Amino acid sequence: MATGHRAQWKGFLKFGEVSCGVALYTAASTSERITFNTINKASGNRVNRVFIDSETQDPVPKEKQTKGFEIDNGQYIIIDPEEVAATIPESNKTLDIEAFIPCSEVDDVYFDKPYYLTPDKMGGDAFVALRDGMKRSNVAAIARAVLFRRVRIVLIRPHGKGLIATTMNYDYEVRSSKRAFEEIPKLEIQGEMLDLAKHIIGTKKGEFNPATFDDRYEAALADLVKAKIEGKSLPKPKKVEVSKPNDLLAALRESAGLLKAGATEDSKPKPTAANANQGARRERAIRGATSKASSSGTTPRRKAS
Amino acid sequence: MAPRYYWKGYLKLSLVTCPVAMTPATSESEKVRFHTLNKDTGNRVVSQYIDSVTGKPVTDKNEAKGYARGEDDYVILTDEDLDRVALDTVKTIDIEKFVPADSIEWVYLEKPHYLMPDDAVGNEAFAVIRDAMKSDKVVGVSKLVMGRRERAVILEPRDEGIVLWSLRFGDEVRPEDSYFEDIEDEVDPDLVPLVQKLIKQKSSHWSPNMVSDPIQTSLLKLIDEKKKALKPKKAAKGKAAEAPPKNNVVNIMDALRKSLEADLKDRKAG
Repeated sequence: MATGHRAQWKGFLKFGEVSCGVALYTAASTSERITFNTINKASGNRVNRVFIDSETQDPVPKEKQTKGFEIDNGQYIIIDPEEVAATIPESNKTLDIEAFIPCSEVDDVYFDKPYYLTPDKMGGDAFVALRDGMKRSNVAAIARAVLFRRVRIVLIRPHGKGLIATTMNYDYEVRSSKRAFEEIPKLEIQGEMLDLAKHIIGTKKGEFNPATFDDRYEAALADLVKAKIEGKSLPKPKKVEVSKPNDLLAALRESAGLLKAGATEDSKPKPTAANANQGARRERAIRGATSKASSSGTTPRRKAS
Repeated sequence: MAPRYYWKGYLKLSLVTCPVAMTPATSESEKVRFHTLNKDTGNRVVSQYIDSVTGKPVTDKNEAKGYARGEDDYVILTDEDLDRVALDTVKTIDIEKFVPADSIEWVYLEKPHYLMPDDAVGNEAFAVIRDAMKSDKVVGVSKLVMGRRERAVILEPRDEGIVLWSLRFGDEVRPEDSYFEDIEDEVDPDLVPLVQKLIKQKSSHWSPNMVSDPIQTSLLKLIDEKKKALKPKKAAKGKAAEAPPKNNVVNIMDALRKSLEADLKDRKAG
């Protein structure tokens, strides 16, 4: 039970012959992003969206709309929404645990949305026993339930005093990483290159709390719009220099040397001349958005390579 | 199906930079999707933009994005303009930090993408960054402009590639304490070993078969039945075009792909 929040779903969590009353609460929502209006360039007016018949071009009111599935080009089978609804099994209000899997085997690319899973007043003991048993055995549970008008599979794992249930994408919704990566040549990096890269990583190790992250996009877009209104030319995208295979070792050596000589604080090494995007960094510093430290006077000197 | 790249840019670690391409790890393309039809004519219903003042249809080439600077006053922005937003993170994933692989809480994982080298020139640099993360058991932390937001992202080495996760913002994840505060810290200690026994009995290994979708299967069956009813089989004629029944599923997959392509076109227009 979580007072003051509205449950998305209430039902039972069942494992073996044990079941306990539980509720699911949305753990993550989507915050707003900048939206644009669609404008008719020719008139500068906003546009409205209408739904028309693709052949007759006549508007089609909502009550005349139905669903269909295309079988051949231009040929459709009309499927009544009721027939679609009939494929959804009746909900038995049960989140049924089918299996427990080792936490290390969980494939996170299947994750869809997280929900907090909490016991209702009556189910407390069974819930807590399951939570602690899973914690000790270091497993996650795969459960199935009719949720939000689909048969959903959720992955349940202990989290603090509660459980988190993450809905999983279906098998056909996740692209195979094997296939996505099959064209990448199999290179295994060893020796000095690997050591240097590990050294660079070592200088950048730290902690990260996603909750503290700030989105700079809105401010940057406002600047862009302002420049455009004032008729200023927009900054050209900077050319990014790509490391050439022959220069890779040198770039790694230089990075490692630079990081050793330069920043001692963990997160903000100050890349100097070498390759990318220095311009924008300077602009931001002038606007006062970031630290003043990156101006040229304080940067470590590059070693000749 | 050839992947459609969602984004192309650069991956950067200190002074090492390589060109990369990224594609979403998830896709709706295999999902059964329906189109809207006009009940009276059986034709497709499509969306169309009309000018809110003149009421006339607006052609694709006249559709533009407008940033509202006042009521009924818009600054038109082209995609090229948007690429010029003064953030390096539009085109470059600069890895700023590395953290232990299991230190990012799962609730922050928003959407996975596959990241790979985009040009042979960067193969080795990509492999260096990937293998160093692998061997140190860390993930990279960076930021990237995605969908008109600048998001924190993490980079996880996986096989030959890298999985890039966009992370949720702090204000998108609800504080767990207010949900979990009433839950007991402990339970009768005799219960836990029993639960562990049960866990052992029901323990299994992860397999994508665990995330099959029975409803999709039912829908495909429903469509298949309707299709059969629509075209009564003319077995006697033995026409070449008539597919044997066992191939129906394959045909439906073709139809699905086709419907996806049409649907994509619609969405572009809409």
